[in-house]
Amino acid sequence: MSHSKQGLTNILRVSEILYLFLIALSFFLLFLSRAGEAHTVWEVLHPVFIPTVFVATSLLLAILLTSEKVAHKLPFIIVHSILIHSLFSIVFQAGDLSGQQITLGRTRLVYDNAILHGLPPWTAETIQSQILVQFGETNFQAALSVVFARMFSIDFLWIHLFLVPVLWGAFTPIAAYLTTYTFTQNKKVAVLASLLLSAFPYATYFGAISIPNSLGFIFFFYSLYFMLKNLDSNDSITTFLMLAFSFFSLLSHNLTGIMSLSLLLLALAFKSYRDEKSSSITAKTSLVTSFIFCVSLLPLSLIFLRFFRPEGYAFFTLDKFYDLPFEEIVGLFLIGDLTYGFDLETILLNIVGPVLALLCMMFLIYNLRRNHTAKFRIHICFLFTAFIMILVDYRILKIFMYGLPLNEERLWVFRDFIAVPFVALTIYAVVSSLKTFLKETSLPTVAIAPLKALSKRSILRVLSLLFTLNVLIPVILGGWITFSLSAAYPHWTPLQTTWYELEAVKFIEENTSERYVVIGDIWTIYAGERIVGVNNPRAYYFLEFNKTGQDLFTNMRKNPSTEWMLLAMNYTDTTVAYFIITEPRLGEEFDSTVSNALQNDLKIYGPSEGFGNGKLYIFYHEK
Amino acid sequence: MKGISHFLRLQELIVRDHNFIFTIFSFLLILIIYLNLSFASSPIIGTAATLVFFMINGIFLGHAFFEKETPLFRLMFGTLLLIMLLGFVGWLAVIIYNLDIIRFTLVLFIVTTISSLINRKVKNKNVT
Repeated sequence: MSHSKQGLTNILRVSEILYLFLIALSFFLLFLSRAGEAHTVWEVLHPVFIPTVFVATSLLLAILLTSEKVAHKLPFIIVHSILIHSLFSIVFQAGDLSGQQITLGRTRLVYDNAILHGLPPWTAETIQSQILVQFGETNFQAALSVVFARMFSIDFLWIHLFLVPVLWGAFTPIAAYLTTYTFTQNKKVAVLASLLLSAFPYATYFGAISIPNSLGFIFFFYSLYFMLKNLDSNDSITTFLMLAFSFFSLLSHNLTGIMSLSLLLLALAFKSYRDEKSSSITAKTSLVTSFIFCVSLLPLSLIFLRFFRPEGYAFFTLDKFYDLPFEEIVGLFLIGDLTYGFDLETILLNIVGPVLALLCMMFLIYNLRRNHTAKFRIHICFLFTAFIMILVDYRILKIFMYGLPLNEERLWVFRDFIAVPFVALTIYAVVSSLKTFLKETSLPTVAIAPLKALSKRSILRVLSLLFTLNVLIPVILGGWITFSLSAAYPHWTPLQTTWYELEAVKFIEENTSERYVVIGDIWTIYAGERIVGVNNPRAYYFLEFNKTGQDLFTNMRKNPSTEWMLLAMNYTDTTVAYFIITEPRLGEEFDSTVSNALQNDLKIYGPSEGFGNGKLYIFYHEK
Repeated sequence: MKGISHFLRLQELIVRDHNFIFTIFSFLLILIIYLNLSFASSPIIGTAATLVFFMINGIFLGHAFFEKETPLFRLMFGTLLLIMLLGFVGWLAVIIYNLDIIRFTLVLFIVTTISSLINRKVKNKNVT
């Protein structure tokens, strides 16, 4: 090995060690930021964390642009990906206050063997509804979490919180790499794509919360890869894996399942189109028909969901056109929910990737328009059609439908998965052009002439190009990815589950041997979900939006008396009832509710000064 | 470099599964996981046993389905397939009754057996 090459290898190794150190430091800073009372991660995040992540990401990008082996680069990306998806799980004591906590409440019942035959923890109204929940929602994730928790012998909460961040962090960069490599055959572009996935805020958010939909997204991404692979292969294993991953994305969540199915049909239509000897009108018509069918599959499935779910009432409507002002309709059409009060930076961070990808796809298709035999033409056309399909579906759901059981912005994750290879391709094209320019103009000059003999202008040009390639581009991309974090994690949320709410719930659980019921607000229920789950017959917390539970709490708040507690005990077949109130949740009403409860002879449970320095009180009554 | 070649040799050894030695070792790991869960509840024992379990069975599945891929992708794909299989059999157990310690152990046995059989089938196919 020549001295200069050895020198470069040494610099690379030092950079890799420095990168690993920065990642370790970032994890440490995250642990330092762990908070027992916070609204958002931004409130409590260590001030050095973001600069550290920025430097680490820029360094990683510089490493990715070298000729280091893929087997070395990918583990670095995986560690980075796990880090940026772990903010909720590490900073908050009970994870993010969202669907993941609701999922935890249900899956804990499976872990504690509190229910038989899986979820839901209540009797479904119809047999179809039972089938939908058992086969299409939380049970798969519950089984996976329980298996992991038992295998590792680690507290179920930790397994649940880190299930998606770790799986997402480990497997989506690889899916991005493989998907990109399938049609670019360029390892550097593919590696870049696997990191750039972190530049898409919505994808980062869904990778940070442990909900069935997130798990489904992972399987969807792999099904997409095998669909691409299947386009030019008749290998039975590829077909099997394509179907298997589609099945698992359906098993994880209905939305990802339907999208996998739609793309599967589209891929099969493209494959049969490719197999046709000549591109006849019939073949083209069948392709267009397939596209329309695939586009309509998601909206129609949401309409027909009412067959399975009695409370489902999604329908097509033109109401939004009549009710909303024209500018709002245009805003919804172009940028969706971002039209509602988001700042320009957030909007740009959310749309820059997809817009770049769309332009890149259009450019590639335009270039390939006459080259029908180009090797990856079919792949690019398929991805472009899938991308358009998702854009159209999003607009149908957003503007022409009402009463959907999900947030339409979830479709952006599918869009981002398809966009990321093209964004990487665009960036790589820019880097390659700069490199070519550098080679053509500057290097020969440097190689032939001694540096001293060069004019100041030439030296400046060489140095500025080298600076752009090795420093500026990694810094810009590193900045983009780090900045995307700020758009990925919310800036306004309710107070997350606090340490004293958790302490109170734990205190009740550890000190009560009888069956008990807890009357509390939705925040208390979230805390209860972390420790004992919901609808647990031994330790009963009402479901989050249960009318009886809400009424009991409202009545207790207005008139805290044993009457409501007895009613709760009779309703849930328990012998002890607890009533929890928290000052930050109740506000001004807190003091009057506490004094009313004491006046009505309700006994304080636990420390007489309450939990959290008097911010939370538990009252109890026994039968 | 040396580390990679050791890993490749280990992969080869596991895939060969001479006299079902690694399958039996997997069953032994399940026994350790079961005993740990029932008596010790030690995360250290659980994590160690699980990691080895994942490595053996992940390599079985990775080799069966992704023989042509590089060692890193083979291991990652194998692990992902193992996770899917664990989730699927676990899901069946949840739907049929529940996932208590006994049924959980049964899930691990089923998954190990399936992984080993698939590995053996593919190996025999390649030999013939």
